[in-house]
Amino acid sequence: MSSSSRNDGLRIQGLTISYAEGAPALGPASLHIPEHGIYTLIGPSGCGKSTLLRAVAGLLPGFVGDITYNGQSVHGRKALIGLVPQSYGLLPWKTVAANLRTALAVILPGRKRKEEREARISRWLEAMDIADLAGRYPLSLSGGQQQRVAVARAFALLPEIMLLDEPFSALDAMTRETLQRLFLENWRTRPVTALFVTHDVEEAILLGEKIVVMAPGGRRELDIIDNPVFSLKHEDKRSSAEFFEQTKRIRKVMREQW
Amino acid sequence: MVKTTRYHYILRILLVFLGINAVWYAAALLIDMPILPRPSAVYESLLRLGYAEMWLNVGYSLYRVFAGMLLALALGLLIGLLMGRSAFWNRLLDPVVYLTYPVPKIALLPVVMLFFGLGEVSKILMIVLILIFQIIISVRDGVKAIPGTAYEVLSSIGATALHKFWHVTLPGALAVILSTIRISLGTAISVLFFTEIYGTEHGMGFFIMDAWQRLDYPGMYAGILLFSLVGFILFLLVDALDGIFMKWRRY
Ligand SMILES: Nc1ncnc2c1ncn2[C@@H]1O[C@H](COP(=O)(O)OP(=O)(O)O)[C@@H](O)[C@H]1O
Ligand SMILES: [Mg+2]
Repeated sequence: MSSSSRNDGLRIQGLTISYAEGAPALGPASLHIPEHGIYTLIGPSGCGKSTLLRAVAGLLPGFVGDITYNGQSVHGRKALIGLVPQSYGLLPWKTVAANLRTALAVILPGRKRKEEREARISRWLEAMDIADLAGRYPLSLSGGQQQRVAVARAFALLPEIMLLDEPFSALDAMTRETLQRLFLENWRTRPVTALFVTHDVEEAILLGEKIVVMAPGGRRELDIIDNPVFSLKHEDKRSSAEFFEQTKRIRKVMREQW
Repeated sequence: MVKTTRYHYILRILLVFLGINAVWYAAALLIDMPILPRPSAVYESLLRLGYAEMWLNVGYSLYRVFAGMLLALALGLLIGLLMGRSAFWNRLLDPVVYLTYPVPKIALLPVVMLFFGLGEVSKILMIVLILIFQIIISVRDGVKAIPGTAYEVLSSIGATALHKFWHVTLPGALAVILSTIRISLGTAISVLFFTEIYGTEHGMGFFIMDAWQRLDYPGMYAGILLFSLVGFILFLLVDALDGIFMKWRRY
């Protein structure tokens, strides 16, 4: 392993996925996210965004291609993955705190590390502003609150890679903006290599260092677009000229592809 | 708030109980025959029974139901989980369950008696037979109904199969298990009555039929009351389990 590949980040090469026999659901796709980079992935419904995330998360048994993190295959379980599924993926029979605890017990097993588990739970519930919900059951929470729990759980794992699958798409505009800001703040305090899937152009521009555009059917190579808006202050992004320009640019790429 | 609704609930049950007694009393006056004694005569006979004899009979019946239920649960849970989680086992066992499910299990009573005698084994086995198919089917469907996404986060961080079973599959199936038990409990108690008619000197079925043969009608009705109490205790128990494990469904 060369010294450069040690901080190579997430590298996806020639990834092709087919669910049943026949046409591939995705690919071949290639993508490189540098360590501690955050990219947003945008594409129409059914183009294979979730499929790509599931492959990186090791949830698909068979695929063609290489997925490596810092030079090593992601499925050696060396790289910890923080997944925020499209449907939150909370266990309804466990309280908010217990949902985090169940995940943490996998990576920090044993009685000796109980203190560390509990410390992480309270730290990240606090960070997502839901410390007061620790004892509640998911069915009693609003969509936005459940999404906060799912994000808190992913952060609490202190993962190497974070994969978010349209986490805020089911929320109303106000809640979505609050959560985008909160997510980005937390990401900045603990930068993690992240791939954020969305179907919302604005969200892609607000949250991604670069924006990856996926074609329908996932057949073309991915378009990767630089995003100058990302370096602006979050409050100023929406009203900036760059934001306006970037929106036009992304829409143009999408029009050409779709 | 919760306290008062519970208080009202208990009050309602008491009122219904008193109402039944009133109707019973009126009917007894109207019919005026020994085959329907007045409530007071039955309660007297209940008191005369003495604790030892009462609890001996109630205890035997409860023991048989519990033993049957636990066995059926253990076996049914195992088979149901196997069928819910593995396509292979589901394909193999589905026709078996499908073919045997509609057989009225009570009709197997003579067969079970022939093979296992008149003792405890055949009594408990009958209850197992009644419960197990319901449990298998509902556990399997309950496990299948757990969305795949419930496992995704744990799978992606490399959780063991045991961890996922304990935290996802089992609690996900528990809801249907409890409602199945609630539904099949009534049948299990009826079957218990039949099995206690033969080959035993204890249990509520024996007690009731014994009193009937001795023309001790107040004693017979006392037995029916006690048997109902057994059923009531079992339902309260399922309610208690529901209260502990199903908190997450009421918010
Ligand atoms: N479990 C599955 N089995 C078979 N086909 C699937 C499965 N999941 C997704 N697909 C198919 O793969 C394609 C991509 O789906 P998906 O990755 O969910 O798209 P997106 O997340 O971009 O909306 C779709 O055509 C979908 O029908
Ligand atoms: Mg999707």
